[in-house]
Amino acid sequence: MGRCVHSVEGMNQNVSSPFPPPTPPHPNAGEIAASARGLSKTYGDGPAAVHALREVDVDLPAGRFTAVMGRSGSGKSTLMHCLAGLDRPSEGTVSIAGTVITGLDDDTLTRFRRDHLGFVFQAFNLLPMLTARQNMLLPFELAGRRLDASVRARLHHVAEVLDLGDRLDHRPGELSGGQQQRVAIARALVTDPDLVFADEPTGNLDSETSAEVLGLLRHGVHQLGQTVVMVTHELEAASYADDVVVLADGRVRQHLLSPDAATVAGALHGDTVGVAR
Amino acid sequence: MRTVLLASLRVHTRRYVAAVLAVTLAVAFVVATDALSSSARAGLTAGVAGPYSSADLVVGESYGIEAEEVDRAVAAAEEQGASTATIGSAFEALVAADGRQLDGETSIGTVSLDPDHRWQDVVSGRAPETVDEAIVDENAARSRAVQVGDVVTIGTGSSAVDVEVVGLSAPAAYLSATVYVPWETLRALPSVYPDSVLVTAGAGDPETVQQAVDEAVAAPVVPRETFVDERQTEVSQGVDVISYLVLVFAAIAAFVAVLVVANTFTILFAQRSRDLALLRAVGAGRRQLRRSVRLEALAIGVLASAIGLLVGALVGVGVVALARALAGSERIGAISWSPSWWIAAFVGGVVTTMLAAWWPTRAVTRVSPLAALRPEAATDARSRVGRVRIALGLALALVGIAFLAMGISTTTAQLTIAGCFTTFTGVLALGPVVVPAVIRLLGLAIGRTGAPARLAVDNAVRNPRRTAATTASLLVGVTLTSAVLTVMASGRGAIEAEQDVQYPVDLVLSTTSEVPDGLVGRVTSTPGVDAAAAVPGVTVTATAETPGDLGDVSVVAPDAAAVAATRDGGVATDIAAGEVLMTSPYINDLGGLVPETLTLAGPAGMIELDVVTSSADVGETLVVAPETLEQLVDTPRPQAIWALAEEGADADELGGDLGLVAREGGMELANQLERRAWVTTQLDVVVGAVVGLLGIAVLIALAGIGNTLGLSVLERGRENALVRALGLTRGQLRRSLGVEGLLLALTATVMGVALGVVYGWTGVRTIVEVATPDAQLVIPVGQVAAVAAVATAAGVIACILPARRAGRVPPAAGLVVD
Repeated sequence: MGRCVHSVEGMNQNVSSPFPPPTPPHPNAGEIAASARGLSKTYGDGPAAVHALREVDVDLPAGRFTAVMGRSGSGKSTLMHCLAGLDRPSEGTVSIAGTVITGLDDDTLTRFRRDHLGFVFQAFNLLPMLTARQNMLLPFELAGRRLDASVRARLHHVAEVLDLGDRLDHRPGELSGGQQQRVAIARALVTDPDLVFADEPTGNLDSETSAEVLGLLRHGVHQLGQTVVMVTHELEAASYADDVVVLADGRVRQHLLSPDAATVAGALHGDTVGVAR
Repeated sequence: MRTVLLASLRVHTRRYVAAVLAVTLAVAFVVATDALSSSARAGLTAGVAGPYSSADLVVGESYGIEAEEVDRAVAAAEEQGASTATIGSAFEALVAADGRQLDGETSIGTVSLDPDHRWQDVVSGRAPETVDEAIVDENAARSRAVQVGDVVTIGTGSSAVDVEVVGLSAPAAYLSATVYVPWETLRALPSVYPDSVLVTAGAGDPETVQQAVDEAVAAPVVPRETFVDERQTEVSQGVDVISYLVLVFAAIAAFVAVLVVANTFTILFAQRSRDLALLRAVGAGRRQLRRSVRLEALAIGVLASAIGLLVGALVGVGVVALARALAGSERIGAISWSPSWWIAAFVGGVVTTMLAAWWPTRAVTRVSPLAALRPEAATDARSRVGRVRIALGLALALVGIAFLAMGISTTTAQLTIAGCFTTFTGVLALGPVVVPAVIRLLGLAIGRTGAPARLAVDNAVRNPRRTAATTASLLVGVTLTSAVLTVMASGRGAIEAEQDVQYPVDLVLSTTSEVPDGLVGRVTSTPGVDAAAAVPGVTVTATAETPGDLGDVSVVAPDAAAVAATRDGGVATDIAAGEVLMTSPYINDLGGLVPETLTLAGPAGMIELDVVTSSADVGETLVVAPETLEQLVDTPRPQAIWALAEEGADADELGGDLGLVAREGGMELANQLERRAWVTTQLDVVVGAVVGLLGIAVLIALAGIGNTLGLSVLERGRENALVRALGLTRGQLRRSLGVEGLLLALTATVMGVALGVVYGWTGVRTIVEVATPDAQLVIPVGQVAAVAAVATAAGVIACILPARRAGRVPPAAGLVVD
């Protein structure tokens, strides 16, 4: 694992370095951004049933960058989908920013996502027929909200921070993979959501661009006061996070607060051993 | 490759539904046409022999026989001891004893007084034994409430005859008529049309008889079998012409099917390009791949054509059974399937599919094996429009416009039709440029309604070629329909303008004496009458140099009130003092020999007037100017009543009502409205048939729209999931797809109506105007709007299924990387 850490540290980058000293307490610190209780998700039934999540209890603190880690099939994507209201759990409750979202009907849930959550996916983040600017403003458009001066100001601020100023009128096909992910992050941040979900945001990127994107997410947390939950299977990606939740076999194996690289690697290693056993 | 082919067919069958549906409909159309035409042919030809069954020889040609020839043939045959019967027909008014008009104009046939020559099947009462007896078709008798024992009047005016109904006959398949009277009675009617003379040698020697008759007449004298064979061939050719006309519509349907199938294949192969590239990467050769996808198309074509044969046969059997139930089994015979039609339909379906798949399958082989190795591009389905295509489209459009201009200036229908085809092909080629532009324009208005609509506009124009191909199929149907409607409406306008001149007065009540007091009021108050006026006139004695004495005739001079009750006042206002207008009934009575001057002797004096003729029909009356009338009589009295019907009044009903009024007042009714109504009905039938037949093409096009949207939904699974994650509700997503379907259908409709009206205009200028010089372009706004509404609504309906499918997918399911 040291190899990975070295490779990241060896890069010449203008964003925060991984594994910084414990971050100063954020104004929101202590509040819970999202929590799940007894969360289970089962696909199919009978002997063929697949238990993607088994009674997961987890609290994700506000103002922190939390990574959800685990091997393929550990349930980390399902956990994120259920937390974000993209899929319905078989059992259990999810609450976000104090609202229980598990009982909401589809339309209310959709509006809740629109108003309170931001998303960055691995790929297909952007609508190909819209420009970067139109993609960034899509949540406002879907909500039918007027683009007032404060929205424009925020858009420009976010675009500047993400170094997208001269790319706003390009369509996704004319942007590099890293630029596309930056547009996606800008879209997630521009609405000032309670929680940003990132699903393998660097899965399709090379390591240098990955570092840049992860640094930006981290920047969003520490400089813009956002809360980010990121699903990843890469140790380097997780190293940018404040906290790490390790999933195995549909259960939370460990919830590590401000861990160091060795602890995370150990938790994952244990996971591997556990599965092997 | 066989494993791949079979697996691919199995996995993708559902995606081929629209392609199968399109080909199936076209094939079924052809097979059902075969069923209908064969049964109609069987029914019609089977009946032909009936009327001639008693004859040894038949005198006459396919179009009939001259009246003088009839007498010569009969005389020559009877001299040889043979018996004869003459067959003929006429079209006359039919009036009940109480004055109720039963028909303004109906068919009158012949029934022989000789039982051997009688071919009708008398089902109640008895057959006529004297010339003033008649039998009536039992269905016609039922609908007109005529019973055995009734006396009916055939014809109007001086040529009218009264006959007693002595029996009812079963409906006939050939030479059917409402009333059958003996030839001796029929021949006196003005509209008589002799068909043939039947000769039975009887005691005489057939050869001698034939020789004698042959010498007496110019018309051919042939054995019965020969004559019946010729008539049957004629009837069957008539059916064939109609079925070939119907095949034109089948060809249109097949063309639309080609567009739909080609689009389906293009989309499917685009979606499968990674799979195909993978096959190439693992070692499939170009030709192997092409063979595989072409076999796939062949399988789809064979399947669709087979289903089409089955569906067509079922529909044909059903429709024929329905027609037999409605029209009677005498007229519609049994279906005889013709193998050549089935083979043609099947081969046509397969060829259509293969033809449609040709270009898409060619494109497949250009897939580079490298495409499989590239990271999956974010479904960037945008396509570019080649410059060659634009140049070709513009060239076609310009050449087509030149053809149209030449066609119109020289009124050459062929050039105009070629121009329409060429410009339309140009428009289809320019589709990827024009269609998205129209969608954006329409989207400006629709996009204001919110984010779903704006997304729909963006989605609708993102792939210009696919969008153009999808709308093209509907464009064909809508363009043809609105062009046909425009030409027909303009033609109808021209025909109506002509009819206004020919039949200036809807209903004429006339008398040779005087109009009773209060009768005008009763006519005016009859429901369906818009205006009525008494026309002042007098009964005079008319003489001419040739043919001499015309006897007592009625002369009228329409005043302002009378002119107001006409459709075209010209008949009354164009007459100067010193002129007399002779209208068509008189001209017919005189056998076309119109005198130059006419001397009229009235109570107040005698004057000689110049004769002016007109094709107009205002009943059996002469028309003069008011000044002329003053010279004939001191105090003119009403001689006729002219009535103008309300718009949309029922001609039969009004004729019946006014017939009663006329009879009470001792007057005669001439119902011109019914003649107009007959022409209008014919036009309606033609328009209805053409629009109905084009409906098949529109149906196929709508299947195509539903299909494109359905495949797009599959393709955009991730995008839809993304916008759902970002806050688009399920309803909004469905609405967005609905708006997309609406935009596609609306664009095709708007362009189709615009093109159709323009083509209709060129048709009016080259075809209708030749027939009637003053033809105006009439745009049937109501009908065209109805077509547009139906096409647009159907476009929205076509995307209900894809929209529901898209809405059901939970956002997370669409986001999973597979």
